Order: sequence, then C-alpha cells, then structure tokens
Amino acid sequence: MDNIIEVKNVTYEYSTDQEIHTAVNDVSFGIERGSFTVILGHNGSGKSTLAKMLNGLYKPTGGDVFVDGINTKDEKEEIEVKRKVGMVFQNPDNQLVASIVEEDVAFGPENLGLQPEVIRKRVDDALKSVGMYEFRESTPHHLSGGQKQRIAIAGIIAMEPECLILDEPTAMLDPVGRREIVDTLHRLNKEKGITVVLITHYMEEAEKADRVMVMNDGVIIDDNTPKEIFKNVEQLKAVGLSVPQTTELLYALKQNGFNINTDVLSIEETAVAIAKSLEEK
Amino acid sequence: MAILEVKNLTHTYGGNTPFINDAVKNVSFTVEKGEILGVIGHTGSGKSTLVQHLNGLLKPTDGEILIEQTNIWDNPKEIRKVRSKVGLVFQYPEYQLFEETVYEDIAFGPKNMGLSGKELEQRVLQTCEIIGVKEEYLQKSPFDLSGGEKRRVAIAGVMAMNPQIIVFDEPTAGLDPKGREEIIDVIFNYRKATGATVIIISHSMEDMAQIADKLLVMSKGELVMFDKTQNVFKNGERLREIGLNVPIVTRVFEALQKRGIEIPCDVFTVERAVEVLKRIKAGDPNA
Repeated sequence: MDNIIEVKNVTYEYSTDQEIHTAVNDVSFGIERGSFTVILGHNGSGKSTLAKMLNGLYKPTGGDVFVDGINTKDEKEEIEVKRKVGMVFQNPDNQLVASIVEEDVAFGPENLGLQPEVIRKRVDDALKSVGMYEFRESTPHHLSGGQKQRIAIAGIIAMEPECLILDEPTAMLDPVGRREIVDTLHRLNKEKGITVVLITHYMEEAEKADRVMVMNDGVIIDDNTPKEIFKNVEQLKAVGLSVPQTTELLYALKQNGFNINTDVLSIEETAVAIAKSLEEK
Repeated sequence: MAILEVKNLTHTYGGNTPFINDAVKNVSFTVEKGEILGVIGHTGSGKSTLVQHLNGLLKPTDGEILIEQTNIWDNPKEIRKVRSKVGLVFQYPEYQLFEETVYEDIAFGPKNMGLSGKELEQRVLQTCEIIGVKEEYLQKSPFDLSGGEKRRVAIAGVMAMNPQIIVFDEPTAGLDPKGREEIIDVIFNYRKATGATVIIISHSMEDMAQIADKLLVMSKGELVMFDKTQNVFKNGERLREIGLNVPIVTRVFEALQKRGIEIPCDVFTVERAVEVLKRIKAGDPNA
C-alpha cells in the first residue's frame, strides 16, 4: 500500500504542575495516498494532538511520524513536511490574514517565493476548486462562516499540498456551511486526488469517508469503513460519541421488532430500508 | 402570561454611513413564562443581534422590548436591573472564566447583584446542585477542568443570578455528542427546578427538536416563522431555501413520502418516528 503518512508507535506526553499526561499513547497506522479518512473522538480523546503531529506541528515524544518517507523530527525538512501536509483549524476568523479574499489565498504561495504569474494561477485554481472564485475581490469579513472556511481551505490548496488535515473545520458553522465544507472536501479528494484527514464530532460527516478511526483516551479503538463503525452503537455511546440519526432510527426499529436492513447510512438508503420493511407484513 | 414581548424591533448598524445595514427588521413575538423558545437562522440572519436586545445590551433603533409588561428602556439609568432579570450566556462562555476557583467564578454574578455571606453561599450551592457541578470542584481552578466542565461552570455563573429569562447563544457548539447531551440536560433541569423561561440559539436542528417548545426562524434580519416546533419542521422546503434544514429523521420521512408512502411529516425525533412506523406496520389507519 502506498502511504503518504506513516505513524509508528507514536506517543505524546505533556506535563502540568503535578503530573504527566499522555494525550496519545503508542498509536500506529498509515494514511493511504488519495484516501478520505475521518477521525472521531470525544473532547479530550487526543484526536487534535494526533492531528497536529501529522504535519509536524507537534513532534511525538515517543515514536515517529513519516510524511512521504520524511521523519517530521528532521528539522532540515520542516518546510517540506508542511508543504506536503496542510492544516485547517476550527475557527476561520483566526486563519484569515488579508483584507481581500485573493490576497489571503496568495499569502502562502507568496511565501514560497513563486513567480507572480504562477501565484496568480494557483490562487485562481484554488478559489475555483472550493467554489469561491466569484468572491475573489470580496472582503472576508463580509462572508458567511462556511465561505470563510472555504477561503481558509483555498489558502492551503494554493500551496499544492498532497494531504489536507482538518481539525473540526465545521464546529462553528451552520448546517449549510457544514455541508459546503464536507462537499468541498469530497470534491478535492475525488477531482484533485488530495488525501483528506477530517477530524470531527459530527457523525454524519463520516458517512461518505473511505475509512473511520475512533479515538478514546489516546488510543485508536476502532478502524474500519463507516458502515462497520456505526454498527457498534453501544461502543460508540460508551466513549461519548453517537451514531448518525439514520442509524439510530434503524436500530430502534429493529429493537421494536421490525425486520429491517441496518446496514445503510444515507437518508435515501434508510428510506428504502424502511419502505421495504413496511411492505412485508 | 407573556413574560417577554418584542414589538416591531428594528436594529440598524452603521446608520448615517454608506455601510448602513438593517440587522433586525420589524420583528415581533411574545414568549410565555416557562417556555423554551428555539431561535434558528443561517449565519448572519440577525439572531445574535436579536437576543442581545433582550437584556439591554443593544438598544433598539426602533420598536420596544417589554419584560412583564414594562418597556426595559423606560428608564435607561435602570437598564442594569434588566440584566439580573435576563441572563445571557454567550457562545463559548468558558473563555470568560477568570476567577481563581470555581466557587468564586460562579459567585461573581450574584455578588455583583449585592448578595453576600450565607445568602451568596446558598445561591452558589443551590445552582451547583441543580446543574450537577460537584462540590469537590468548587475549590479547583476553573482552568484545570475539561472543556465540557468549564462550559458548565460558566453557565452556572449566569444561572446563579436567578434570571427569570435565560438566553443561550449556541450552548452546544464545539462539544462532542455526550457533552451536547449533558448541556441539554442542564438546561432542562434548570427550567424544571426554577420555572425560568429559556431562549436558545442553535444550529443543530436535532438538538432543537429535542428541547424547544416553539421555534422562531430568522432569515436576513426578518422573522419568517414563529410556531410550535412540530409545525415549523413541516416546512422542509422553505427551511432549506433559507439555508436551514429539518432534523435528519424528518428528512427520512420526507423521502418516504416521495416514495408514495402515506406518512405524517410532523416527525422530528427518533422516538416519535418509531411510534408512527409501528402503528403503520400494525395497519392502524390513524397512524
């Protein structure tokens, strides 16, 4: 398998006044190039710390993270690692630096020292890929939360990373904003082949991922396709998570004596399963 | 009895400048004592501007806010008194914790209202009991708590002022599913224990379905719907037009209707969905 990121026996410890805490505890996995992975976990499960180690923002206190074969602890390769793996955070307002959309997106490529015409092309392409080209001359603070977050993503895309890590990018958005972001990420993944690692609290956002990892107390307790992951309703609830409302409904029906296929996730599939179950009397 | 009446409220930002913008346009509604009212709307729809009028943080450009039949701006010098009647919990309230201990932080509001000694202590302990802040936490630093616990303490600080109306601006934002459920329980318990009126802004239609008696829907500064929760969620198409949606379980029912299955569409929680489907399965014509 061709992995863009390799995580090998990674631990992250930090200390407060009295004690040492282990945020991530001996975790190993690979992220396949071109894949779409979702990491679920409750607040404090260690998922954000793990994410920040994937592009070298944090260095593991034990074990190693390799990006395209480069160890993130290698200081000479620091910039190369961050170019390959871009990161988007929760609050779009903290990530925008310029007063005009296209200037904001140009900030990264300008810092790479590229030629003006190359920058122009990258900015235009990046804005088109997140569906914000027509807003290129707007002021970011006049845009909605979802639009601002898409500008932040464009700013990273303009650096042409191979992989995007997003740490709860939809937490502050309204339902439409959330859908815009998730749709944009799937498009970037499909059309540009960018590897996506999405960290979220929203179970629905994991629905179309290739792979879902569940974190609890610094370790990965489950790693599978979304359909398989959401079969473990009880386990997910035990670690402070939930399942999408579609799954919740199907399981509740099954418990109430319905002979029903619970192996589906989308709204349309759920409706089909219910309709089928109602027919057989 | 209506505890709160909003009459023709308009708020204009940037008056007399080229950036003039009506954030809230001619909005009127009433809230009954003890009700839980949900306020929904896309980002920038004016919902935060609207609720900041309720405790006099913003002054209406036009229109009136009446609490127990009294216009809160009748005597502008007394506007601070309104703040102890109407408590406002901002987004991410845990960022506003600042005292050395949890106890001091919760006591800050009631202390400023003039409570002291035994009375103050009692008030803090009462609030902690209602919302489940454990006693052993009281002497801890609020900064040593987890995210969800911090938020609970910050909310307790507002609740300890015993407001008659408490307003929450996205109380569950950024929390995991368990944290969201805990905050919703806190709000339910507080209403049950005190009979207070609750107003909640939220982006989660599923949370709203669970908690709100009535919903007020804002779009572009205007009130577009104001009705019982089940009636508002019957209007999936209209809600989607203005950048909102109905709960996921309601969308499943919409999909069933499209497949020609005769099914009521005022279903917005999983419990109700199971109930309705069971009756249909059993062949109940009144399902």
